[in-house]
Amino acid sequence: MRLCKRMLEDLEQDLRDHLEMETQDNIDRGMSPQEARSAALRKFGNVARVKEETRAVWSVVWLEQLLQDVRYGARMLLRSPGLTVAVVLALALGIGMNAAVFTFVNALLLRPPQGVATTNKLVEVFLHDPKGSGVQSYLPFNYPDYAYYRDHSKSLEGLMAFDGDGQEAIWNQAGTGEIVHGQLVSGNLFSLAGVNAVVGRTLSVDDDRINNPRQVAVLSYPFWRQKLGGDPGIVGKTLMLDGAEFSVVGVAPAGFTGLMVGAAPDFWAPLTTQGRFTHEDQNRLTNRHSYWLIVAGKMRRSGDRKSVQAELQVLAKQVYVAQKSADDFQDARVYPLTLVPGPFRGYVGAFTGGLLAVFVIVLLIACTNAASLLLARATGRTREMATRSALGAGRGRLMRQMLVESLMLAGIAGTAGMAIAWTTARLLLELKPADIPITLAIPMDWRVVLFTVAVSLATGVLFGLAPALRASAVEAARVLKEESQSGDRKKARIRNALVVVQMAMCVVLLAGAALCVRSLINANAIDAGFDTHHIALARLDPGNLKYTPEKVNEFYARLLERVERLPGVISASYAEFLPLGTSRSEMSAGKQLGKDPSAIRVGVYRVEPGFFRTMGISLLRGRDLTQKEADSDKPDAVVINETLARSLWPGKNPVGEKIALGGEKEMSQVVGVVKNGKYRSLGEGPLPVVFRGTIPAARTLVVRTAGDSRTLLGEVSREVPIVDPLMVATGVQTIEEYMALPLFPARTVGWLLGVSGILAVVMTTIGLFGVIAYMVSQRTHEIGVRMALGARRVDVLKMVMSQGLRMTAIGLGIGLCAAFGAARLLSPLLYGIGANDPATMTSVAIGLGAIALTACYLPARKAMSVDPSVALRYE
Amino acid sequence: MSTKEQKERIELLQGTLDLLILRTLQLGPLHGHAIAKAIEFRSDDVLQVEQGSLYPALHRLIKRGWISVEEGTSENNRRAKFYRLTAKGRRQLAVETSKWDTLAAAIARILRPGEQESES
Repeated sequence: MRLCKRMLEDLEQDLRDHLEMETQDNIDRGMSPQEARSAALRKFGNVARVKEETRAVWSVVWLEQLLQDVRYGARMLLRSPGLTVAVVLALALGIGMNAAVFTFVNALLLRPPQGVATTNKLVEVFLHDPKGSGVQSYLPFNYPDYAYYRDHSKSLEGLMAFDGDGQEAIWNQAGTGEIVHGQLVSGNLFSLAGVNAVVGRTLSVDDDRINNPRQVAVLSYPFWRQKLGGDPGIVGKTLMLDGAEFSVVGVAPAGFTGLMVGAAPDFWAPLTTQGRFTHEDQNRLTNRHSYWLIVAGKMRRSGDRKSVQAELQVLAKQVYVAQKSADDFQDARVYPLTLVPGPFRGYVGAFTGGLLAVFVIVLLIACTNAASLLLARATGRTREMATRSALGAGRGRLMRQMLVESLMLAGIAGTAGMAIAWTTARLLLELKPADIPITLAIPMDWRVVLFTVAVSLATGVLFGLAPALRASAVEAARVLKEESQSGDRKKARIRNALVVVQMAMCVVLLAGAALCVRSLINANAIDAGFDTHHIALARLDPGNLKYTPEKVNEFYARLLERVERLPGVISASYAEFLPLGTSRSEMSAGKQLGKDPSAIRVGVYRVEPGFFRTMGISLLRGRDLTQKEADSDKPDAVVINETLARSLWPGKNPVGEKIALGGEKEMSQVVGVVKNGKYRSLGEGPLPVVFRGTIPAARTLVVRTAGDSRTLLGEVSREVPIVDPLMVATGVQTIEEYMALPLFPARTVGWLLGVSGILAVVMTTIGLFGVIAYMVSQRTHEIGVRMALGARRVDVLKMVMSQGLRMTAIGLGIGLCAAFGAARLLSPLLYGIGANDPATMTSVAIGLGAIALTACYLPARKAMSVDPSVALRYE
Repeated sequence: MSTKEQKERIELLQGTLDLLILRTLQLGPLHGHAIAKAIEFRSDDVLQVEQGSLYPALHRLIKRGWISVEEGTSENNRRAKFYRLTAKGRRQLAVETSKWDTLAAAIARILRPGEQESES
């Protein structure tokens, strides 16, 4: 405002000139110079006031008043530092936990993957079975469909694809092998996603020609730095990957880990080189039934998701008509591109939404705490408010003063909350099982900041509103006249209600937390059906080395022989994969070949002899598979579990019976029955399962030891290259580490609810204590009178305690009702415990009651020791 | 003191000072002291303007864009600020004047009901 500045700078001179002119006029009228001057001044009025009023014209009044309020508020907050710290700490924890969860929501569901430019124009496309429902009805793309969409879509600038599972490859270097992770991507992916190489170039469409694929690779930044020492001349050098030479064309930027959560590839190679990596499925590029591609598109500048969806639906119909096959029609669905693939967004959203709900309750408890503490202080400030109002401050001004103070508190808490969120988010990542190769970046971008600011503001208004309304409603005359500060009845009612609400919310959280923690203890003790101790595991995949089946078998036989001879080893065996992992295989099983309506779906595990003994799975009837049966191409013999035995041959001994497995031409003989176990998740009911031979080349080695399985890990890894120098064992871990994955959901939820429960208890205790202590201090006078009139100390104690306990009881009652309702939402996560477990609920109620009793007793004891003579003199 | 010599004076109603300034400037640009003198003179010294209160009002009008300010030379050859009515101010003056007329007429009707009735 230059005009303003100029006008105010000249003001002094203008006023002087004015006065001089007036004086001159008066002299002209015949006054003496002195008289003329004083007359001019009189006529002009108060010069200082004029200056001030003139300045006020230009100043933004509300801003100045706001600054005043802030200065005043800061003084008030500093005057009671204990209260300020308590409120800020409680709020900071509440806000921080919410912001931490939101950081994950943001990273997974809201923001586009890191390192990707042209963000809001990217979409993800999935095939969808219109008849299906849930996640199962969505499919990744097959290559022919992808190529058709890519070549025919007009609303998209381009359609890119990458292989959703990732590829493991053995990187051979100077006589040793190392497992590296690769991702196959379409040639246009880097340019469409706007990702530029930091060294060399990224992949191009020319690298990815289906009839002439180039064996080139782009390296990830961490791989280049850590494994290749950041070699600046890396471009043009070759890497031996799965026995094929790939020449390095460039290095991707540091933050880029691809377009999907869970993958952190070491290198990217063209899609069309897939034959170099996957040996089982050489015709993936032409096979319509191999669904392996995650497809993403970049919309044209003018495009939106709706028009893309409409166009892709048309393309889906064209594909269907052109194919003339008997397959079902497959629709295409469009989602915004985020780290979590579209169809799974609902699940992740529900999970994180649930967590947010929990922490919103924690925040609400913190809010009620802050509100009741401020209310208590507001009573102490009644006189201050009355004085200010008597001096002419409007109601709005008083209210604003109080709101400014609470917003200042919330602002400080929000800033601290950001720091808490930052650390908490990183701690939460630590809960992730080590063997999930997920590197998740959780950046604090503007969305997180915006969320935190919004939450802080809302919090400030929420807990500040009640005290502000009460404070501004003072009747100045009445308050100033009355000498004693009799506690306002209405105010006390609000505070009591807040304590009750707090107690109720605390019960809900604590009940949830207790259920989860108990269920976690149960889950750790749950019988997985196999031994969860003294077992070491290692993944092996010689398929990459293109060995013949005989050579593969020879390798495994020699490795087993060596491992079994290690000190402490009791037994060892192989399985395709273990139960409760990420892999699963199913087929139908019945009592007759061909179409059998009575056939049921069973889980299938391919194992070698000795598996049951090594894993500690008890054999109930019959015998284990023999080596000959296991090596046979046909499943001559199988072992089944109890559940399958009971459903196919109820009440009979199934050993010796014939079973028909889906896709097989001959019946198999049941040679043994093993005890039930858990296969998909720890919470599941009994499932039917078949164990058979015909194990593929990629296997898990299981080793049972008498001692600590951890000491065995190094030895097992060392044995592998001794048998075959080109082989590497991956995923070498103890069974305890392996079990971290199935326990993960319960563990995370248990941790988070446990933390939130403890926070809730602490805050509620402080709240209750504060209110009772305040009540006692307000009633010191009354208590003194009572005691002077002959009330015994016990009566005083009873009076104070009964008030606190009444609030506690009401809160507990409401809370328990709510907890019974809320616990139902938790039931899918609970193991071996009912959602309405009476023991848990009772102990929560008793525990909280005991804490409340203590919180009331301390101030009550103080009340008891009131000296009547002192109290009567008190004000 | 000089109060005795002066005629009976009337305090200005709040807000009317703005109107008077605008009206005065309609005749042409003037500096601060001249405005004060003009108001006093034109009202036959009945309206008592505390001359200082002119300045907050002038600044207020400048801020609203109803008058502009320019440098000039006063009658006794001194540099002074001259205030000039803007087009926006001219429109505002019309609005304010008609508002004032309505107000004055209304007050008059209340104070002298008889006369008003006979007039209409």
